[in-house]
Amino acid sequence: MIWPYVIWLTIIILIPSLFIILATVSSFHIFNDYTFRFTTEFIRFLSDPIFLNAFKNSIKYAGLTTMICLLIGYPVAYFFANIKSKNKTLYIALLIVPIWSNMIVRIIAWENVFKPVSIINLFNLSFDLIGYDVAIIIAMVSMYLPFMIFPIYAVLDKMDHKLIEAAHDLGAGDFQTFYKVTFPLSLGGIVSGIIMTLLPAMTAFALPERIGGGKVILLGNLIEKQIFRGSFNIAATVSLVVMMVMLGLFALIVHFDKEGETLL
Amino acid sequence: MKKNYWSLSFQVTLTVITFAIIYLPILVILLMSIHGSQYNFEKFSFTLRWYQAIFTDRQLVDAIIVTLQIATLSTLLATTFGTLFAIGIHSLRKKGRLRMMVLNNMPVVNPDIVTGILMFMIFRFLRISFGFPTMLLAHVFFSIPFVILSVLPKLKQLDPNIFDAALDLGATKFQAIIKVILPSIKVGVIAGALIAFTMSIDDFIISYFMKQGEFHNVSTLIYSRLGKRQISPNIFAYNSLIVFLTIGIMVTFNRLNRNPKKIMEREKK
Repeated sequence: MIWPYVIWLTIIILIPSLFIILATVSSFHIFNDYTFRFTTEFIRFLSDPIFLNAFKNSIKYAGLTTMICLLIGYPVAYFFANIKSKNKTLYIALLIVPIWSNMIVRIIAWENVFKPVSIINLFNLSFDLIGYDVAIIIAMVSMYLPFMIFPIYAVLDKMDHKLIEAAHDLGAGDFQTFYKVTFPLSLGGIVSGIIMTLLPAMTAFALPERIGGGKVILLGNLIEKQIFRGSFNIAATVSLVVMMVMLGLFALIVHFDKEGETLL
Repeated sequence: MKKNYWSLSFQVTLTVITFAIIYLPILVILLMSIHGSQYNFEKFSFTLRWYQAIFTDRQLVDAIIVTLQIATLSTLLATTFGTLFAIGIHSLRKKGRLRMMVLNNMPVVNPDIVTGILMFMIFRFLRISFGFPTMLLAHVFFSIPFVILSVLPKLKQLDPNIFDAALDLGATKFQAIIKVILPSIKVGVIAGALIAFTMSIDDFIISYFMKQGEFHNVSTLIYSRLGKRQISPNIFAYNSLIVFLTIGIMVTFNRLNRNPKKIMEREKK
């Protein structure tokens, strides 16, 4: 029962990945001709200000978002893992409800919060923050925070509480116990959380387009614009860059959590 | 104890902030769905007409139907295949299993936009025209790894001899899977199905690469209207209905789940 799955993954991941590499280093074009004239055009593009700017923006917004999500998300996951209530599952479930609500509609909601004339005028509030960093980052944190909390919660919840008692018995204080026992044991969850936040944030395109007022370009925007309205080869080059970042981060996950138990 | 108190109030504060920041857009949407005017925000006027307007918007109704059809079908397919693949992966030796999991987890980590492009390219290459079947296939594709991730831990908890015992007692392999293994991993399968359904109903980016012309699911329809500045509050009404429905389902599940536990606890005493 394994082979059908391996074949399926090969068709959908491996073959098109080769196309992306081909389209980066040659004139290969999926839409019309299948010619292979090798070019080094992509090297020029990788130093083009358009690309560098998108790359820099992606790192900046996704990096800040991930950092804030981790700083908020870890204590929250810790809190949820340690509450003793019969409604615990319900509280966790309440973190999922917003994800069920359509992402585009939530983006529209944030757009309304940050533009001057909108529904929040009813409360005598009005912001004019479209295009500002702070607006983009608040909206991103709102979208991706649950994805940071879940994996960390998963490892903390499964952790053997006897270890903490043992540390206390051996004379460790609260801080020491956390620093030497709890934190190292939750590292797998942290790594997964960081990746599940960082990658989607880096490649988001609807959010930066709406909240950024069309002025903020991330790698995702570049790919989306190029593939439908520009050069297929440029879209492939940007995708390849994203895939390399992904593979680097993926190696980290494989190192910390071989079977991917924290990915759910 | 004093230090503990500070640490706890720190955690509670951040939890409150978390709920505030993830629920604020939901509340804004709810408010827009019951406010009478799209452009005038000086005075609140209550209305339910946007809720009625969901059903008169032919295009939106069609998109909702497409979304539900795809979510249901892709959940069924992904859960069936995912469970079978998980049983297969579980039966491998350790090394093969780890290798398969690396392969399985790749699409989970892969950003949606890259997955979207990869699928777009392969369908384009195979000259399959975009529409319902491609969107369905794409959703099955990104759901399967999550089903596997959710079923595998349950398989690990299983007594490894249970399958052989069933075979010894005269069951065929198929019977052993259906009658012995499946009931024991039920929780993982249901959780996997729920995740698959959630992911499908909410997907925008991958669907965006699978659409063609006027064929839309809810997300791509809203995005295309957003580009044309044609957003009507009936979309907010639809979204609020979904949120109410989800909260309702979750509270009911919580009630149902709690009762058997209580009974068991009482019996223990």
